[in-house]
Amino acid sequence: MNILDQLYEKARLNPQKVAFPEATNEKMMQAAYETGRDGYIHPVLVGDAQEIKTLAVQRGYDLSIFTIVDIHDEAYKAKVIDAYVNQPGRMLKAKALGRRMENPLYFAMAMQAVGDADVTFAGIDNTTGDVLLAGQMIIGMKPGISTISSIGLCDIPGYEGSEGSLLAVGDSAVCTNPNAEQLASIAISACDTVHDLLGWEPRCAMVCYSTLGSGQGELIDKVTEALRIAQEQRPDLAIDGEFQLDAAISPAVAAKKVKRESKVAGKANVVIWPDLNVGNIAVKLIQQFGHANAYGPMLQGFNSVVCDCSRGAPVSEIKGNVVISAVRAAGSKKN
Amino acid sequence: MERKELEAKVIELVAMAYGKDAADLSVNSTFKDDLKGASIQMVGLVSELENELDVMVSLQDASACATIGELVDKVEEEM
Repeated sequence: MNILDQLYEKARLNPQKVAFPEATNEKMMQAAYETGRDGYIHPVLVGDAQEIKTLAVQRGYDLSIFTIVDIHDEAYKAKVIDAYVNQPGRMLKAKALGRRMENPLYFAMAMQAVGDADVTFAGIDNTTGDVLLAGQMIIGMKPGISTISSIGLCDIPGYEGSEGSLLAVGDSAVCTNPNAEQLASIAISACDTVHDLLGWEPRCAMVCYSTLGSGQGELIDKVTEALRIAQEQRPDLAIDGEFQLDAAISPAVAAKKVKRESKVAGKANVVIWPDLNVGNIAVKLIQQFGHANAYGPMLQGFNSVVCDCSRGAPVSEIKGNVVISAVRAAGSKKN
Repeated sequence: MERKELEAKVIELVAMAYGKDAADLSVNSTFKDDLKGASIQMVGLVSELENELDVMVSLQDASACATIGELVDKVEEEM
């Protein structure tokens, strides 16, 4: 059973409420329907209820699979706004939130913020920028986290790492040129993401072209400073470095290059790149030469799970990402 | 609202969002060099403009402003 099959099974054990603010989109509705029908999630379609119902019937879907939330339901909207603005630290006041909630994306996220949904899933009609902005404004960022970022989960044939053929890597998609503080946030968020999604005890390596001072320069200084910040902020996590990639994931190389105790060296299950140039190229290398499947990007750093899928994604990929998001949301509730 | 009054209000909101003293800021203060904020602070600022002045300036437009004065121009256009 591959990792995605395992995650599907895990989702079915504890289905989460996933809000779909782009429910009228044909691919999105199909993904919501099929994952709901098969018991992986409880799909909540957010938008113009009449339009959603008409389209769902036209497309031959059983309406009983869905919960449909009408953004024109003023009584419900008022209830959500009231609950939202009474939460501490919220950015928007009632009037501003009400205006934003005319957009289903913001409506869905406000529902999530007050506990009426566990995940907001979008990205087919909205851009990544739209989803990130709405997420930061409505869901907010986790305390102590300075940037939204992402990780990907690579399933690499023939790789025998500390989690078998799996390796989590980040950030390969969102934060282009993180400073030390942001890089620390990426590492911390990545640890929490793999713990919530896969139940791993994260062992996170911050990689660059130097292992424990074997090289010098400002590119390395950023990584060592990020490591210091991450370890200070979250001493409970096994985050270590700076390591070259081989010292991070190969026990034999780590034995030669890392001459001190490390919970991470040689057995990292999470690898954090120093910037997006490295991250993007590295993932392409893993895919092209390692023939890996790369799942994600999974957004992280928000107070709760927000998912942005690719606008060109086929239904099968959307369904996979819906299930991954739901499992993350279920995992985060256990913390 | 008069221009000067609007400038003072926007400076106050910028100071709040970026954790600065309003007295240290002017319409010539730059977001890149004087404020050096992260994107989340700009999100906070856009939210506060909406809360306090009842105007929606998009994050994209706000992020394109080099100075606080340019942001005041954007806010004025939306009022």
